[in-house]
Amino acid sequence: MSKLLAYYPGCSLHGSAEELESSFKATADALEIELKEIPQWSCCGNTAVHSANRLLALALPTHELAKVEQDMQLDAVAIPCAGCFNRFATSNVESQEPEKAGHISDVVGREYNGSVAVHNLVDVYHDDVGLEELKARVTRPFQGLKVACYYGCLLTRPPKATLAGDPEYPTHMEEVAEALGCNPIDWNCKTDCCGSGLALCETAMVIELVHRLLRDARACGAEAIVCACPLCQMNLDTTQREIAKAHPDWEPIPIIYLSQLVGRAIEVEESMLGLKKLIVDARAVMA
Amino acid sequence: MSTASSMSACTPQPDLAQTIGRGCGANVCKCYQCKKCSNGCPVAAYADLHPSQIMRAIQLGQVDLALDEKFIWLCTGCQTCTTRCPQGIDVAAVMDELRIIARREDRIPDGAALANVLRLNADSIKRWGRLYEVELVTRSLLGNRKKMKSYVPVGRQMMAKRKIRLLPELGDRAAVKRMVSSSERIAEANPTPLERGRGRGGYSHE
Ligand code: SF4
Ligand code: SF4
Repeated sequence: MSKLLAYYPGCSLHGSAEELESSFKATADALEIELKEIPQWSCCGNTAVHSANRLLALALPTHELAKVEQDMQLDAVAIPCAGCFNRFATSNVESQEPEKAGHISDVVGREYNGSVAVHNLVDVYHDDVGLEELKARVTRPFQGLKVACYYGCLLTRPPKATLAGDPEYPTHMEEVAEALGCNPIDWNCKTDCCGSGLALCETAMVIELVHRLLRDARACGAEAIVCACPLCQMNLDTTQREIAKAHPDWEPIPIIYLSQLVGRAIEVEESMLGLKKLIVDARAVMA
Repeated sequence: MSTASSMSACTPQPDLAQTIGRGCGANVCKCYQCKKCSNGCPVAAYADLHPSQIMRAIQLGQVDLALDEKFIWLCTGCQTCTTRCPQGIDVAAVMDELRIIARREDRIPDGAALANVLRLNADSIKRWGRLYEVELVTRSLLGNRKKMKSYVPVGRQMMAKRKIRLLPELGDRAAVKRMVSSSERIAEANPTPLERGRGRGGYSHE
């Protein structure tokens, strides 16, 4: 049941989150999802643009969506970065609102008809592959590894754009983890904010936000946290050394991409998982 | 820089809510102060004002409270407020709109470090067509020893794990450049009354 999707990596996957790209591509390949990278893609604009130039923030992703629709003639694009996914999902909706459409197509330089579906990392496994198919492909199931599935902000909010069924208590990532043999625990912070880009300027605040949610995951019994966003992964992973300094009894918890979890269970080549790139050692839980 | 005085401290601007509505489409007048936005806001505890107070300040036309507090420069854009508001107000878009106005009015309070990071981030995207992470991080930290120091442990770990791409990648720079200038032209042609009040771009206040 091979399936063809356009693919938008985004800047992080070609920089600080290479392991997300390599594990995502390896799993897609093994699961017979063919990915076609959008030619000469540009940045989605991220928070910097939508808090400075609203029109440009909608135009940048719409420009890419028009390429997928008209040049590539595909009906869906896979976007593993939750931040990029959110900008694309927002533009996909707002570019079709009559009061904005005119200005957006003026800036983009062409019409976009809104026919492309925008899929995040969880959607690809949950919907494009499908839970049954995924389960059937698992050759090395986890033995009930207790994971806390972390969605953060941008996978589900705002639901008008992300089309998430339950933005406050999503469960698709848990369903994917379960299909891999994990035991997803229930916890209180799965859609809490990690502080995002403020790590660069309000470091102390971000460490506090992260500590609060890591502590909750631990208290609820998690052995690892699974995520689907490069910025969340970086914040949760890089702050633990500082947390340990302030709290000597802190027991570090690995922060793993969903694509790495899938890759381990369907046994893609280990070097493609990029586990060595994670800062808190994940080898024990991924063994 | 003369703007802070020309907008002078406490003169209420009664049509502030309408101005913001024209900019981002959110109707602040609908806010009935239930405080759901503030309760769910991850950064409310770190500022003097929280989202529902910002909404009230806008209703009352308190430009100084809405613009000059650090809050809007702590907002992470997490969209919790927008998702939960029972009045369907896109509160996060209001925060964005305030940042847009603050930038144009040159009213960025001291200590709003995020403003600088976001500007450098946007510059990098415009320059390369993609975000060049190394450039953003180094330029954000330059000239700020304290921040640099607090970022050192993170940078070290990123380097040790080779999570850094030293050279920039290029997007479709020509297309990005074209979209930047046409979007700015359209924004210029649709200024907010706050800007008109300053006689910007040949507009004068009615
Ligand atoms: S949630 Fe909405 S109605 Fe309630 S205080 Fe916030 S903006 Fe106002
Ligand atoms: S989007 Fe900003 S104001 Fe709204 S809840 Fe998140 S941090 Fe607070």
